[in-house]
Amino acid sequence: MDGALTARRVAGLALFALVAAFPYLYRLPPFDQVLDPFRTFQATRLMIWLVVLMGLNLLTGYSGQISLGHGALVAIGAYTAAVLMREYGVPVVLAVLAAGVFTGAIGFLLGLPALRLTGPYLAIATLAMMLALPQILKLNGIRELTGGVSGLLLSTPRAPGAVDGFMTDRQWLYYACAVPALVMTLLAWNVTRSHVGRAFIALRDAEIGAQQMGINVPLYKMIAFALSAFYAGIGGGLFVFTEGFMSPDTFDVNLSITMLVVVVLGGLTSIGGTVFAAFLMTFRNDLVDAMASLGVLKVPGAIVPGKEQAPETLRGALYGTVLILTVVFMPQGLAGFMRGLQERRPWKRWLQAARMPRRRTVPVGHPASPARKTRGGER
Amino acid sequence: MDTRRAHVATAKQPMGEFVQQAATGLATGSVYAVLALAIVLIYQSTKVVNFAQGEMAMLSTFIAWSWLSRFDYWPAFFLTLAVSALLGAALERVALRPVESAPALNSVIVTLGLFTIFDSLALWRWGGVPRPFPSPGVFSGSPLAVGTITISRLNIGIFCTSVVIMALLFAFLNFTKAGLAMRAAAENPAAARMVGIRVAHMLSIGWALSAAVGAVAGMLLAPILALQPSMMFGVIIFAFAAAVLGGLNSLPGAIVGGLTLGIAQNLAGTYVSPHTGSIDVTVAFLVIVLVLVVKPAGLLGRQVKRRV
Repeated sequence: MDGALTARRVAGLALFALVAAFPYLYRLPPFDQVLDPFRTFQATRLMIWLVVLMGLNLLTGYSGQISLGHGALVAIGAYTAAVLMREYGVPVVLAVLAAGVFTGAIGFLLGLPALRLTGPYLAIATLAMMLALPQILKLNGIRELTGGVSGLLLSTPRAPGAVDGFMTDRQWLYYACAVPALVMTLLAWNVTRSHVGRAFIALRDAEIGAQQMGINVPLYKMIAFALSAFYAGIGGGLFVFTEGFMSPDTFDVNLSITMLVVVVLGGLTSIGGTVFAAFLMTFRNDLVDAMASLGVLKVPGAIVPGKEQAPETLRGALYGTVLILTVVFMPQGLAGFMRGLQERRPWKRWLQAARMPRRRTVPVGHPASPARKTRGGER
Repeated sequence: MDTRRAHVATAKQPMGEFVQQAATGLATGSVYAVLALAIVLIYQSTKVVNFAQGEMAMLSTFIAWSWLSRFDYWPAFFLTLAVSALLGAALERVALRPVESAPALNSVIVTLGLFTIFDSLALWRWGGVPRPFPSPGVFSGSPLAVGTITISRLNIGIFCTSVVIMALLFAFLNFTKAGLAMRAAAENPAAARMVGIRVAHMLSIGWALSAAVGAVAGMLLAPILALQPSMMFGVIIFAFAAAVLGGLNSLPGAIVGGLTLGIAQNLAGTYVSPHTGSIDVTVAFLVIVLVLVVKPAGLLGRQVKRRV
């Protein structure tokens, strides 16, 4: 509040300036080497993923429920916005908001059974929804609205006449997505730092304990589902607005699983982690290509002769391996890893360990003693 | 499943068609039941829903396929069961044990990781082209006529094999020392450990058993669906729905759920789909949601009370 220019604030302002000026940066000398208008398009995508993944993290990270069908919610949002714009000529802003509200309602309904349950039920139910959605979109009566197999085609989004001359369509789309993404991120920031966010975490970690503390568990679970789906709906609306196309296969099971992968990798229960996740989601193909060019995917091909070709198909194996390794060794994700570096400064310990011989004995009965380790599921 | 021909043959008798579809559904349902058994076997003992179950079965079927060029059907069949069991136990050791005491979310994520790994490995090793998969000679030949309905020998074979597997599993869990120890370890790990059961081994055996049971389902389905990496995508959700319908912690429930779902799917395909477009997966989705809203424990499952 004192307006002092701390390093943190300067960094924040610089970041904000970068996000705000990004679509124009490719014209400036130092940036024109690495940026081009295509990067603006990717940045637009990044903003949309940020909204979608923020919702997934609110649900999975903060309230501890797994959604394997988040893609289905995004698709519902996209279809809602598309139908509203196409059939009824609703303005974009209203259509996207309506998509968020409608998808939020669907998420709320889907969460109802989970109010009485703990465990993997929501994961199964959302997986089933993800698999059933393409079929539902093609049903008679719904097909007429959704375009069935062939999907929906919207007119290409144009920048409004008022910004003619100093903003291209691509730049306009970037801002049209960056502003909502910023607002939604701030919203998530505030929610997770309010009593609502703390209630989410409490019911994730100890549902009965949370109840004892006077937290209305069903209410907060409902809020978590609805909020998460609202984010997915907004993201879907923005997606269809920028893409201009939506078909039943745009969001499939693999994409839903990929969303979960990047959120876990980025860091559950962390806004910064979600930003990481959005980067990973946007550039996942580039990352895999980079790894492939480093020869990571060629190793299995070298083991099985004749299979050096098509390392493309090993992409899934790479995702899966990274996912499992993350969950086992870095359950807090990249965000947690960074936080750990910041807080613990492990390099000091490493230096010390290098100097001193390792000798560590733990008394029996101490929490860290192996004898006290209990197995899961033993309640 | 092979319903279209039967549909034409009996379309003129409404009751006959109903029975015909129900009978065909029984064969489909028996495979769902076997797959649901595999899911329940793991859930019961480790509280993990194995989302990789379908892909494990698919991988087992590919293993069987690669041996069929060298062996007859039945030797390849049993060899596959053995290898699948070993792989299942190894998976539990390598992938699941590190996250055992972590929150449930972690083990679900691990099984999802396994799902993508298996899918991708199969696609890389064998490609996406559907391959024919043989069924044993006994299962082929002209369909059998029972009263007003006809059933293909393949469907009868599928049903019978499933019943045999269920009976073997039942016998193992009820009449052998290892089976009883497994149930004890699932029921109450602490008490089981106290009477000298090695609970950790039992978890591995549970995974092994589940992988072998899943392999049977894969090999039964492959002649119908054609062997390919995405073979189980459309099937596994019915197995999940069956497991939820019967109760995730009840083995008899898995059988009841599987058969019910198979019949429901076939009947919906005959009577509803012509008017709405295909709805089989939607039926599975609705079954899951309905069960969770009305009776979350499932038809035969027990409601687990949590101690604070």
